[in-house]
Amino acid sequence: MPERRKIIHIDMDAFYAAVEQRDNADLRGKPIAVGWSGPRSVVATASYEARRFGVHSALPSVTAARKCPELIFVPPRFEVYRAVSRQLRQIFAAYTPLIEPLSLDEAYLDVSEDLRGLGSATRTAEAIRAEIRRETGLTASAGVSYNKFLAKLASDARKPDGLFVITPAMGPELVADLPVGKVHGIGPATTARLNRLGIHTGGDLRAAPLALLVREFGKAGQFYHQIAQGIDERPVQPDRARKSIGAENTFAADLYSQDAALQALQPILAKLWRHCQGGGVSGRTLTLKVKYADFQQITRSHTAPRPLASAGEMEQVMGLLLAPLFPSAKGIRLLGLTLSSLDGEGDEAGPGGQLELAL
Amino acid sequence: MKLTIERAALLKSLSHVQSVVERRNTIPILSNVKIEGRDGQVALNATDMDLDIVEAVGADVIRPGATTAPAHTFYEIVRKLPDGSQVELEQDAESGLLTLRSGRSKFTLQALPVDGYPVMSGGELPYSFTLSAEELKGLIDRTRFAISSEETRYYLNGIYLHAATSGGVPVLRAVATDGHRLARVEVPLPEGAAGMTGVIVPRKTVNELRKLIEEAAQDVVVSLSDSKIRFAFDNAVLTSKLIDGTFPDYERVIPENNDKILEVDCKSFAQAVDRVSAISTEKSRAIKLAVYGGGLTLSASSPESGSATEELEAAYGAEAMEIGFNSRYLMDILAQIEGDAARFAMADAASPTVVREVADSSAVYVLMPMRV
Repeated sequence: MPERRKIIHIDMDAFYAAVEQRDNADLRGKPIAVGWSGPRSVVATASYEARRFGVHSALPSVTAARKCPELIFVPPRFEVYRAVSRQLRQIFAAYTPLIEPLSLDEAYLDVSEDLRGLGSATRTAEAIRAEIRRETGLTASAGVSYNKFLAKLASDARKPDGLFVITPAMGPELVADLPVGKVHGIGPATTARLNRLGIHTGGDLRAAPLALLVREFGKAGQFYHQIAQGIDERPVQPDRARKSIGAENTFAADLYSQDAALQALQPILAKLWRHCQGGGVSGRTLTLKVKYADFQQITRSHTAPRPLASAGEMEQVMGLLLAPLFPSAKGIRLLGLTLSSLDGEGDEAGPGGQLELAL
Repeated sequence: MKLTIERAALLKSLSHVQSVVERRNTIPILSNVKIEGRDGQVALNATDMDLDIVEAVGADVIRPGATTAPAHTFYEIVRKLPDGSQVELEQDAESGLLTLRSGRSKFTLQALPVDGYPVMSGGELPYSFTLSAEELKGLIDRTRFAISSEETRYYLNGIYLHAATSGGVPVLRAVATDGHRLARVEVPLPEGAAGMTGVIVPRKTVNELRKLIEEAAQDVVVSLSDSKIRFAFDNAVLTSKLIDGTFPDYERVIPENNDKILEVDCKSFAQAVDRVSAISTEKSRAIKLAVYGGGLTLSASSPESGSATEELEAAYGAEAMEIGFNSRYLMDILAQIEGDAARFAMADAASPTVVREVADSSAVYVLMPMRV
């Protein structure tokens, strides 16, 4: 049996909102929402004062204001959040080189090797939390366990400003009581499918035959089967390569015609193309995301045999993806484009790759 | 309308015409073939709005008239009738239904009136020239395998037909490429083609045209403008829109100074490639050529199935080298070479290789290597 790993999941508490309250004394102790208050906006992060009113991230701002009339909307300042995020990275780096950031305010650390000689992963996590508070004036919650899935579960257990440890002895039992929807990687759609199969908790999932899960969910079925037993072999991947780049936009008024949608996609495409050029990356798969007025969301994608080399080529693929969606009875509230199968993925670049004529 | 016609003749024309009709149509009448009987023949007409075909067959027209009927159903019925049977078509003037009788069979088809049938006008076609069926066949067969099916580069989804000069001689050239390989074939420039616009003939048109040539021995009159092209046979006319795009400057990807020359017996080389490729993966189809003085070794390996090598005699005088190719692409090119010997002119393992038939300079193939 391989040696048990020690994984810490660090999650900042109400990150954007906490940064705003830190930098503006008038906001402290008050219900605030980072995000715009416009009719089409959603809350990015809500402070804990606002969460008591049922305000949470991704809630439409209009609904949030209704739930909490005192709510103060604060426009986001991403450059500040990014700067704080860099500070966090520096703190983590003093404890381990194995850092996998999930977003600006969340990361997995593999501290199996006790580089600072603190004696345990729990003490390491406490030291990191203390340093974050000292350096940034913000609070973080930490989860400590023997894999990524349980570490993330643990960081949620004592939020805010808390620390929780899931030991190997506790793992399987904790998972058994967990609703499947709380399992990492199982979203609402999969939850519904699992529920139809009579699987509601981690325990049910553990009892389900592997063959059934694989038949229903393919490769993911294997992962669920393992997870249900508290097993998660995914390594902490430092500097995980970017898998996709994307941009999207929610519109002030729903769009109904293909022309309007095409026009609305232009700035999104331009932004995506800027990212491509800025990062020197290109990709083969373009995915169009459409969210309708009733919040139904669909995606359509096309994979070209070679990287899309210009904004023009991307626009063509975009047109191909968009055309079949019209005429549409429903209005469109959001459109997005994502480019994936980025350079170096797949077999194009490696041995066996077909070279191109310089046409 | 009422007429009788031989099943065999009807089937042949109908098979050409029905394949133009798309399987799924948003406009119902586009699923139909137009049938018009007059002057001792029946004209069958089908269109997908980009491509239009009219073909005439001799028939015994008892009462002239015209209607339209579902193309695929009509074709299926005629196809299933016994050999040597006679077919009677009759449209009831009142109900508009089309009745087909043959032997003891009777079918009634839902017809739609002809006035709703789209007419694709050729417009003015300022250039016109004649090609023999043989020439046209050669231009198509030796290029169409290289047509791209990638929608993003739509201007490669056809054969680029244009006037050029080759060694000071005016020629009519057909070029196709999918970005991995390129085929360029030429015939002496026919009278009337001088100064013509370069046009890109869509893949579907090329394929339908090829079916018509199969049975034609006679000359084909080609007329074109910058947006349409027409191929006129004795009893059939194909009119097509052209791909509205600019074909890339292909000349610059045909290297002229490749100095590593390999000459192989075309047939035994193709067979060896075919055998060795049995082992290469379905996905990459990669095959490696190691060339040296006096011969070459073909090899392939795949993590799943194993490895293969085969040695071949060949004329090669330059320094030894290794180069990889997609075996499918190699076979496609070798299949077009009718003579015994093929000449490969290579530069290095990452640059385009030129393939020609030793005894025939009318066709040039360019193939990009694979990394192996």
